[in-house]
Amino acid sequence: MKHSLSFSTIGEMTIMGQFLVKRFFQSLVLILIVSIITFFIMNLAPGGPSSMMRMDATAEERAAIAEQLGLNEPVIVRYKDWLLSALGGDLGTSLSSGQPVIERIMERFPYTFQLTAITLIISVVVGVILGVISAMNRNKWQDNLINFGSVVGLSVPSFWMAIMFILLFSVELQWLPSSGVGDSSLVDKAKSMAMPVIILATSTLPTIVRFTRSSMLEVINQNFIRTARSKGAREKTVVYFHALKNALIPVVSIIGVLIPRLLGGAVIVETVFGWPGMGRLIVEASQGRDYNLVMGVTVFVTVLVIVSNFIVDIIYSKLDPRVKAY
Amino acid sequence: MSNPAANNTDLNQVRVSANIKKSTAWTRLKKNKAAFSALIFLVLIHLLIFVGPFIWTVNPDATNPAGMLQGITASHPLGTDDLGRDVLARMMKGGQITLLVGFGAMFFTVLIGGLVGMLAGYYGKWVDIILMRFTEAMLSIPNFFLALVALTVFGKSPLMVVLVIAFTSWMEIARVVYGETLKWKESEFVEASEALGSSSVRTLYKHIFPQIIPSIIVSSTLGIAWAILTESAISYLGLGIQPPTATWGNMLQNAQQYIWTTPMLGVLPGVAIALVVLAYNFLGDGLRDALDPKHRGGK
Amino acid sequence: MKKLWQISILFIVSVLVLAACGSAQSDEGGGESGGAEGEAVKGGEIAIPIAADPTFNTWHPNAYAESNVVNRIIFTGLTKPGKDLSPSPALAEEWSASEDGNVWTFKLRQGVKWHDGEDFTADDVAFTFNDLVLDESLGSNGASNYKSLEEVVVVDDHTVEFHLERPWAALPAYLAFNSEIMPEHQLSGGDPWDNVEFNKKNPVGTGPYKMDTYTSGQSVSLVKNEDFYEGEPNLDKVTYKIVPDSNTQIAQAISNELDIFVMEDKSAIERIESSNDLEVVAADITRYFWIALNQEDERFTDAKVRQAFTHAIDRQAIVDSVLQGYGKVAHGPITPDQQAFYTDEVQQYPYDVEMAKQLLSEAGWEDSDGDGVVDKDGEPFKIVFDIAIQGDLERIAQLVQQYLIEVGIDVELNVLEWNAMIQKNIIERDYEMMLNWWSYPTDPDVYAQYGSENAGTGNNIPGYQDAKLDELLQQGQATSDPEERAEVYREAQEYMAETLPYIYLWYPQELQLRNANLKGVPDTYFGSTLHYIYEWYLDE
Repeated sequence: MKHSLSFSTIGEMTIMGQFLVKRFFQSLVLILIVSIITFFIMNLAPGGPSSMMRMDATAEERAAIAEQLGLNEPVIVRYKDWLLSALGGDLGTSLSSGQPVIERIMERFPYTFQLTAITLIISVVVGVILGVISAMNRNKWQDNLINFGSVVGLSVPSFWMAIMFILLFSVELQWLPSSGVGDSSLVDKAKSMAMPVIILATSTLPTIVRFTRSSMLEVINQNFIRTARSKGAREKTVVYFHALKNALIPVVSIIGVLIPRLLGGAVIVETVFGWPGMGRLIVEASQGRDYNLVMGVTVFVTVLVIVSNFIVDIIYSKLDPRVKAY
Repeated sequence: MSNPAANNTDLNQVRVSANIKKSTAWTRLKKNKAAFSALIFLVLIHLLIFVGPFIWTVNPDATNPAGMLQGITASHPLGTDDLGRDVLARMMKGGQITLLVGFGAMFFTVLIGGLVGMLAGYYGKWVDIILMRFTEAMLSIPNFFLALVALTVFGKSPLMVVLVIAFTSWMEIARVVYGETLKWKESEFVEASEALGSSSVRTLYKHIFPQIIPSIIVSSTLGIAWAILTESAISYLGLGIQPPTATWGNMLQNAQQYIWTTPMLGVLPGVAIALVVLAYNFLGDGLRDALDPKHRGGK
Repeated sequence: MKKLWQISILFIVSVLVLAACGSAQSDEGGGESGGAEGEAVKGGEIAIPIAADPTFNTWHPNAYAESNVVNRIIFTGLTKPGKDLSPSPALAEEWSASEDGNVWTFKLRQGVKWHDGEDFTADDVAFTFNDLVLDESLGSNGASNYKSLEEVVVVDDHTVEFHLERPWAALPAYLAFNSEIMPEHQLSGGDPWDNVEFNKKNPVGTGPYKMDTYTSGQSVSLVKNEDFYEGEPNLDKVTYKIVPDSNTQIAQAISNELDIFVMEDKSAIERIESSNDLEVVAADITRYFWIALNQEDERFTDAKVRQAFTHAIDRQAIVDSVLQGYGKVAHGPITPDQQAFYTDEVQQYPYDVEMAKQLLSEAGWEDSDGDGVVDKDGEPFKIVFDIAIQGDLERIAQLVQQYLIEVGIDVELNVLEWNAMIQKNIIERDYEMMLNWWSYPTDPDVYAQYGSENAGTGNNIPGYQDAKLDELLQQGQATSDPEERAEVYREAQEYMAETLPYIYLWYPQELQLRNANLKGVPDTYFGSTLHYIYEWYLDE
């Protein structure tokens, strides 16, 4: 993180090592906290796994299932068991399917990954371009238009936009499928992903546009650009070669913030478009009180975010010599 | 579920000079067309929503199955919904709840975020480490997942929805306030006040807090927009505030069933949400510019 | 080959023309969707949506509605609902009860093979019931239906006997309802619920379709079982697509990606009827909606109060609005699709606010302080009305709330998520008023939901206990002569309409959305049509 301590370059490797260890333990504590919060929220909740919650089940049937699922132990004991087994790398079995939790996550993770990764790439590429255009035309109509578009994108409820898209592109025009992941062909795949990606991008693209814009303006106002400009270089060249390079560096840092948001947005998008990812999985799992699966998905996603933030921080520190990740 | 709009303050921490006169900010805001129209729009819509029900006294919960899904009529200027209720009355009543959820969530967001940021920034040392580490931790948790679990589990009362939104959005404000506090802590008058023997609580309250008010105002404005949007998203998943209490979010969610036959039912709350959120976003941006002339390059 | 096609098409066309000429007068009777008697076309594939990942084992505690529609075509049961919904042969060819009604003997079909080539025998039937259903530690889904079953005895390879604790005339009907037979050779030994390989990946059944591929969160593809005992199915492939959002389901149907399913909400009908490729079929179903007033709460023990509630709610108006007319006001638990048993010659409760108020005042509830809420001994009539988030329930509850407010009852809605509702209302029986529905096998035996012994922990949700009703319903269970049985249930219906153990709301119809080219589907409820999926075909 930006405001972490900065050390001298001597013995960088050891410091890096220390940093890694420190970061690792911090992450462990974080995961522990997340797991405790989730576990207790879930287990203190009214209701139980759906298999026990059938309307016509009798008390004896419910008791039998609770026994099978090991739900008769006190919550603390169950958490301890879960934690010990999780530390050993075993996230348990899904209460709703009997499959290992990790298997269920791995069935869904590739789809969430595809969706969020493509959205992220598109957001960054398009967002940076729009941000640069915006900054270069500060306060002109291009800037105003892009700014307006960004605010609108952030303001329309995404599920509503998604349904309007389905009405338009799937039902009326019949251009794009309203649901599913597409068959094997690349064109099919692209068609299936078009709407989910666009909807998901409305929550990330504006942030990147605005961030790039203000980052560009800040760099442009810095002295070395002024110097370069006074030397008579053509303004556009200056912008591209100096400003952009420097302005992009902080844009990397915002990716860390965007990843959790993308994963959150995926819940809605996956539900509307029937996309078989982890977002839908956690909605189903928490409604069905599949305790182990909820725990597994939450911990998995937390690890995912921690790891990706870590990578972003490392890249950031490599790009910008003024910033140290550690 | 972190607050997207507030991120913009990360880089350009709102650098408000202590002696910006309110009047200058107000003049600047007035010059910003988008923000000023947003402000006027918001004043009008709040008047409509909070005063309107005294004039249009139709009971928003009164059902009438015989008169459902009607178009515009004299007795129902915006038609009726799927249970024959008056849409105008429900839009106003629902708007009240939606905006109150927005304000409520914003209040708790600012309260938690402000306290965490100020305490961490002012006291430093282990307070800083614990609080800001915790803030970072919360930022990297996929909050929406936790929020889903919490709402599934604890029910969907308006207060619960407010708290869940606040609990998952306070971190950005904490970081902004933290940065501001750090900066002002070093300033001469704070040091002077400490030298004169003021208690730390007093210094914090008398000298630092007033300085960070502008950034809090900006964050709160954007925070309301975010809370309204979040309420509609959790309503879509069936985890929002439940009927018969109307909110724009659950009206929109309910209208989904009718997109095939009565799409108008979804258009009203959808547009209302979009416009109000848009207006708060514009106002927030405008306020940032007005309170911090450097930000948008002296517009 | 091509010639052959042309000739057969020509033949079909001429047969159809002749048939149309010859039977013009009996047209409305022949509305069987093109009629199963038309020449079926082989080949083609269809898609059916389900809301979530299925579990391929009927008895698994995790097998919910989305699993049932899949399992029904992978597996088969001893009986199935006939096209008139009365139990008809499936794996069992014939059956009969002993003189005292305590033993039922089933003759099994010979030469039936499991999808993996093993022979189906009486041992599989015994295994399914003795080792899955009757093993209390397993908590099998639907085991409570078989409370009076003692054990299944294998007589020979193709004969089994069901030994009962008491006579039970409804057994063949219950065997047709989510009671498929599981393969012993696949599931015996080890915990059957932990057998992920079978329950989640490669189920082995006796049904018309067998597993091809299953991708979690996406689809279950099944291919036809050429050796199916009723004959080779027409459709090559049936795919269950997992589509959780109901609007997306409708959008997909409009773009011809889905062929048949039940529409949960009825608001899209107009849009669908405007599409030439789709048709909407309404079918009766063995289901009724009710309100339970907790009998532990003494305010509700007076029948007059329950009658007042029934008069206060304009059920016809709700049927006309929320159900768009696809339903019928209910008088009791026995549904109109059971023509041999249903009667509406019972006490009726038309919408009548004055009558409701009068009945309330007879029960001691009057608005003595003029605040619009009736009271008794100084206590206003305030009710918390629990409702689960599911389908139309919330909408209905909001209407009911307003109707009750109209007659002076202060009703507060308490909306609960489904699992939380089950915990509070069903397990803890902690509620004042709730609204839900029962679906049950097409047989008038409703003892499970009414018997005094099922109050408290069983399916008698209101906890209504009445010795006379118990006796009537037990008599119905023990009587196998159809006429005598009808008489018993007629009397029971009259009695229930007077005493109102539940507040009866309506019998909903089920709306199926079908691809207009999909033929050979019986005009019964969706769940029962699946038993005939081997007769379905695409006519294009």
